[in-house]
Order: sequence, then C-alpha cells, then structure tokens
Amino acid sequence: MSAIEVEVTMNTNPALQEEFGESIAALAGALAAGDDQRFFNELDGLVQRREFALFGELQKLTNDLQGALQRFRIDSRLVDLAEKEVPDARARLDHVLKLTDEAAHKTMDLVEQSGPLAERTSRQAEDIMVLWKKFRARDIDVIAFRDMLARMDAFLESAHADMDKVRGNLAEVVLAQGYQDLSGQIIRGVMKLVGELEVALVELVRLSKTGGQRVRPSNVDETSRGYGPVVPGVNHGPAVSDQEDVDALLSGLGM
Amino acid sequence: MSKDMKFLVVDDFSTMRRIIKNLLNDLGYGNVTEADDGATALPMLQAGNFDFLITDWNMPGMPGLDLLKAVRADARLAKMPVLMLTAEAKREQIIEAAQAGVNGYVIKPFTAVTLKEKIDKILETRANAA
Repeated sequence: MSAIEVEVTMNTNPALQEEFGESIAALAGALAAGDDQRFFNELDGLVQRREFALFGELQKLTNDLQGALQRFRIDSRLVDLAEKEVPDARARLDHVLKLTDEAAHKTMDLVEQSGPLAERTSRQAEDIMVLWKKFRARDIDVIAFRDMLARMDAFLESAHADMDKVRGNLAEVVLAQGYQDLSGQIIRGVMKLVGELEVALVELVRLSKTGGQRVRPSNVDETSRGYGPVVPGVNHGPAVSDQEDVDALLSGLGM
Repeated sequence: MSKDMKFLVVDDFSTMRRIIKNLLNDLGYGNVTEADDGATALPMLQAGNFDFLITDWNMPGMPGLDLLKAVRADARLAKMPVLMLTAEAKREQIIEAAQAGVNGYVIKPFTAVTLKEKIDKILETRANAA
C-alpha cells in the first residue's frame, strides 16, 4: 500500500471513500508505476465526474435564482400595490363617496326648490277656478270679475316664471346624475386593482406553498357592526328580501 | 304624543338623514335633530328630552345595535321608542335587534308609506299600553 493510498483510506469519510477511493487508488497506482497514459485517463475521468456534479449544483442554483427573481417581481408588485395603488384606491373610493353625496344633495336641493313653486301654481289655479266657475255660471259681480282678472294676470305671469324655473331645475337634476358615469369609471378602476392584487397574492401563496393552511377571518365583530346592504352574489347567510319579510319575521317573534 | 314630538335621526350618511328628516316634516313632525353615529347620538339622547329615536345599524364609531342596547340599559332612556332603519337584512340580525328591544324595523330602501306606518304603529302601541 502506497503512502497516498493510506492517507486516502484514513482521512476521508465513507461516502467520499466509496465515490473516489477506487479512482484515487488507480491514479496513485498509475503514478507509482509511471504509466502516464493511464494516469491522465483516470484524472480526466475524475474531473468529468466532478464537473457533472458541479453542473447539477449550478442548475439547482439557477432554478433557485429564477424562483427568487419571480418572487421578487411579485413582491415588488405587491409593495407597489400596497404602498401606492391601495392608498390611491382608497382616495378614489373616497372621491366616489363625495361625488354621490354631492349629487344626492344637489338633486334634493333642486327638488326642494321646485316643490313650493309647483305648490304655488296649483294653489293659485285653485283660487282662480272658484271665481272662474262663478263666471261660467254667470254668477259673478263686477268687483269679483275684476278680482278674477287681476288674479289671472298675476297667475299667468308667476306660473310662467315658476314653471320655467321648475323646468330648469329638472334639467339640472338630470345633469346631476352624471356622477354615475364618473363614479362608475373610478369603481371599475378599483375593481381592476383588486383583481390584480388577488392574482399577485395567489401567486405569492403558490410560491410560498402555504396554500394548505387557510386562515378564515373572524366575523364576530362584523355581526354586531353590520354587513351593509345585500349585494347579489355575496352571501352572508339567510336574509330577508323586503319589508314584508321583516314584518313576517317580527310578527313571528310576537312583535 | 303629538306632532311636537322630538325626533333624533341617526345615520352616517347626510343624504339619508335629510331624506328621513324631510319625510318626518311631511308627516308633520317638525322637531327633528340629527346625529351621525351612536357615539354622537347617545350623549344627545341623555341630554336632550327626545321622544323618538330612528337609527341606522351600520355606522362607523358606535353601530346602531350598540346604541339601542345603550338606550335600553339607561334607566332614563329605556322606554324610548326606537325604530331601526337599515339595510341590514340578515334574519339573525333582525332577531338580534328584536331581542335587544327595538320597537320597529324598516329595511332600506324604504317608502314614505312604510316609515309612516311603522311610526304610527309604534305610537299606537305605546298609547294603548299607557
């Protein structure tokens, strides 16, 4: 046994011994025997095996790097979504609230302005009708007749002005509904963002392989706080569909 | 109870408060005050001789159900008529409100007729009980 063979046998672990022991022994043997050809053949064989293992490692590293880059891409998208677009979405939805609030108040303002005008027209017409009926029945004296004419003059003038104003208000009510277009566009944008967020999160869960452990959010607080209006397709359990249902339910409870 | 009754309308949306207030005015109830959630409404109720409470359920701050429970738990307010006017439509919620002592439950969207009916019914029941 040569000096090299002894060292290999004593200092390597069994796996390395099994993998390389024979080759090293052959290598040492060739060297000792002065067989250059066999020595270089054995050496090439060893290097090739080592390269093959290295390529395997490199392949694994490349895959890991690819995964990390993919995760980084999703992470950066998520960071972007969380830091910029989600607050943006909140601001945009807040604007929708403001738009709907303004439109509703504007509509109510216009309707409230129009109500008294319509009421005044109706009341004045009613007053004149009493005199007009007397006139048609030829049961009116000169003073009442003059009164009727004066009232009619005033009525025609005010009805014309009032109804013009009402017509203008109605046109503005229609215009005020334009909020639906604007708010609709904003809501669509937010829906797109929510969709994107969902895709990124699902992808992240897939990469992290934590999909099996689902954590259900608690709904304890929600019950006392309320769920908001019933939305078709979003189910929170048995719900009433109208006031009749509510009345029936309460009457069943003895109310 | 007369048309001088003092109403407190609690809803987080100013448009809805305005709608309810206008409807109450149309019904002849001119004394209507507003609050935007339970936490604002409760001290107002405790301070202000209100005769009738109309409240939404889902509000930031104190929700309507908690306001109802707080009203029933306060000896001076316990008998106040409370009408819940809300979009909350789950059966268990309506049952919960009934158990908490609500006097009427109107679901949104609602009509002027429904609101009048429920207020009249509550006042009639109270008049008969008195």
